[in-house]
Amino acid sequence: MPVRLLAIAVTAVLLLAGSARAEGLLIIANSSVNVAAPLSLSQVAAIYLLRMTIWSDGSHIVPVNREATSQIREKFTVSVLQQDNTSLAAYWNEMHFMGKQPPVVQESEQAVLAFIRNVPGSIGYISASVAPIDVKVLLRIP
Amino acid sequence: MQEGRIRRRPIPLRRSITLPLIGAAALLSSVAGHSADADDGYELGHGLDLGPLNIAGYSSVVVNLPNQGQESLVLDDLSLFVTGHFGQLFNPFTEAELSSLDILHSGHLVGDYGDGDFVLERLYNDSYLTDSVTLRLGKMLSPVGEWNVIHAPPLVLTTVRPAVTYRNFSEYATGASVLYSDPNTSFPELQLYWQPVGELSERPASLTIHQYKEVEGAHVSFPLGLLDKAGVSFQQSKDVDGVDQSLYGIDFHYTIDKLTLQGEATYSDISDRGTVQARDTEWGAYAAASYALTDQWSAYGWYETFADRTAPSVAHDVLFGVAYRPHPAIVFKFEYLQNIAGHPVNPTGVFASWSVLF
Repeated sequence: MPVRLLAIAVTAVLLLAGSARAEGLLIIANSSVNVAAPLSLSQVAAIYLLRMTIWSDGSHIVPVNREATSQIREKFTVSVLQQDNTSLAAYWNEMHFMGKQPPVVQESEQAVLAFIRNVPGSIGYISASVAPIDVKVLLRIP
Repeated sequence: MQEGRIRRRPIPLRRSITLPLIGAAALLSSVAGHSADADDGYELGHGLDLGPLNIAGYSSVVVNLPNQGQESLVLDDLSLFVTGHFGQLFNPFTEAELSSLDILHSGHLVGDYGDGDFVLERLYNDSYLTDSVTLRLGKMLSPVGEWNVIHAPPLVLTTVRPAVTYRNFSEYATGASVLYSDPNTSFPELQLYWQPVGELSERPASLTIHQYKEVEGAHVSFPLGLLDKAGVSFQQSKDVDGVDQSLYGIDFHYTIDKLTLQGEATYSDISDRGTVQARDTEWGAYAAASYALTDQWSAYGWYETFADRTAPSVAHDVLFGVAYRPHPAIVFKFEYLQNIAGHPVNPTGVFASWSVLF
């Protein structure tokens, strides 16, 4: 009986973990950002790869990333940027040396939300299960 | 930054500028030690954000053990760069560098030999005219090949810089430049640049091979991937002695799984021999390969041939080494260079470096 309970518990944990990984992403921006939603995936990728650095009103785009070890960053990197972390780190270091600012790192969903609420021109991503309060939703990624 | 160059004479340290540079670097280094990835605005390799400003830099300590000549331990680079983002038209950037400061030189302490050179590497403003077009005004790096525009030791492959990546052209341009870059990378990137009257804050003679007065050129880069590309360069120049030079170059960077291949080649036609030269052309090429052994360790090597305008014979060098990168912004390199034929541009010997982008 204890073995059966343990198996059920392990299965439940694995299912929950799987559902967390399968959760969608919301691409969000500061409410001052004046851009037509939804953005395309290629536009979001261009922003994070620093190929698009200003909004249409001329204000500076401030992309926000999660820390390198977070699962949500892994999902964003794979599904939107379609690159590996080593190549991205090297690329952002080169871009930084050439005068472009790599994405700012925030270490929790709440920190990302707070940063984007407070910083004009900022854009980031959060889990679709988090309420996007006081920010503009630019794209939903399943 | 100027790996492999022969220092001609020591220049007194410009203490009024250098001391704040060292102080700011020390401050950033202490922040780096406190926090490598945090919410406090600092991430190692990405600099410190202060509102619309970002302050960053890099350092490189190099051990030179040539078979002939003096052995040395050198603070080869201590650089600070500041980026400002104030909107569409005003985005200033500046980089200042302390270069080649001897720590130990064949057993002598600092002060006996070169005290380092202060160099204003870059000072310009970027105006984003559209999503794809940028106007740059000021002192900038010339886009000849790939190495020159990313020349910071934490970013480049080897401690010893191949001669072809700096000896055959003006590394800098002071004037105007237009850059085209398609956000979707559907079209090649293009940069045109023009220096009409000379270099802003000329580098000291100890770091300069040729001093260029008039420079104009173009670089076209064909994106092949995130870091992969193939490029074509052209540069027309006149140096302070009145020597005209036309340069043509190609470069490539290509990754196949764990193997990365890169290389550059340049050919210059020197039309007016106003100074003593052995030939009326200068040309060279290097080809490099690096292989990622693990996430942190890699092995690398390059072969270079270079025909210097003043040398009677063509140099042939091979280099191989290993690199350890415990963090994307930190790298240790250990390498051996062998001059196998011709008049050496880089000396045979062992070289090592510890570089940090902070």
